[in-house]
Amino acid sequence: MSVSELEADLSEDEQAGLELIRETGGIHQSDFWKELDVSSRKGSRIAEALEESGLIKREDTVYDGHNTFYLEPAARDLDFSLLMAGDMLSPFIGEEEVDGQSDAFSQWLMNLAYEEY
Amino acid sequence: MAFEDLLNDPVIQKYLHELVGPTGMPVAAAPPDGEVTDEELAEELGLELNDVRRALFILYENDLAEYRRVRDEDSGWLTYLWTFHYENIPENLEEEMYRLLTAIEDREEYERTHEFYLCEVCSIRFEFGEAMDFGFECPECGSPLDAMENDRLIDAMERRADELRDELNVDVTG
Repeated sequence: MSVSELEADLSEDEQAGLELIRETGGIHQSDFWKELDVSSRKGSRIAEALEESGLIKREDTVYDGHNTFYLEPAARDLDFSLLMAGDMLSPFIGEEEVDGQSDAFSQWLMNLAYEEY
Repeated sequence: MAFEDLLNDPVIQKYLHELVGPTGMPVAAAPPDGEVTDEELAEELGLELNDVRRALFILYENDLAEYRRVRDEDSGWLTYLWTFHYENIPENLEEEMYRLLTAIEDREEYERTHEFYLCEVCSIRFEFGEAMDFGFECPECGSPLDAMENDRLIDAMERRADELRDELNVDVTG
């Protein structure tokens, strides 16, 4: 399923939780439920459901001296079209080195300046 | 076929195409569920075995496929059983977004701190020092070189860098 289809299946609370994780870029579960204004149990269920759907990453961590989880948006949720300039993909894909002066990158930047924006 | 949701994304299609090239694309575009041998893929897709293997090893190098070797007890031949790992595509592209951001930031600095001259006939750009060395005449065609504004380029770089930083939650420093 695509990200938008997955999102359509979320409950209202899960939507709000996902929104919060995206806005913050990453948040501890112990802050997550407080921000959402739900019980810690409910916050935990929401985070589990979002992890299950693959929309977020949830990793064990220690925060303020107690065990909790760190919640952040999953990579699949990123806007990969930011690698494109017009119809050209980032020239560094498949390359070992990133050369900011290469002709291919100059071409990519020209596309960006004159086609995209 | 597996990973259909990912493969529907035109950027991901373009990414795979960039990695394996046009001959490898039939292999990259139709990952089967579970394990498959290179011979099975070649047969199914009507491709040369070498082209299939080449594509598979490129995917392997990019963490997008792995293999295990099984020895046939009768013939003693090794069979490679391949599994596709396209679940790693998003993380690879995330890494590419970081690489692109670094390149844009470096280049933006260069564009801001240099002056440029252009030959409109040849569409070649020169740094101020180079242009001066050539007496502000194009070394290819002899046309006069004109001062070139790069504000639009810088604006575009700044905008995309902001978008990338925002998407990747990179804090702006300095």
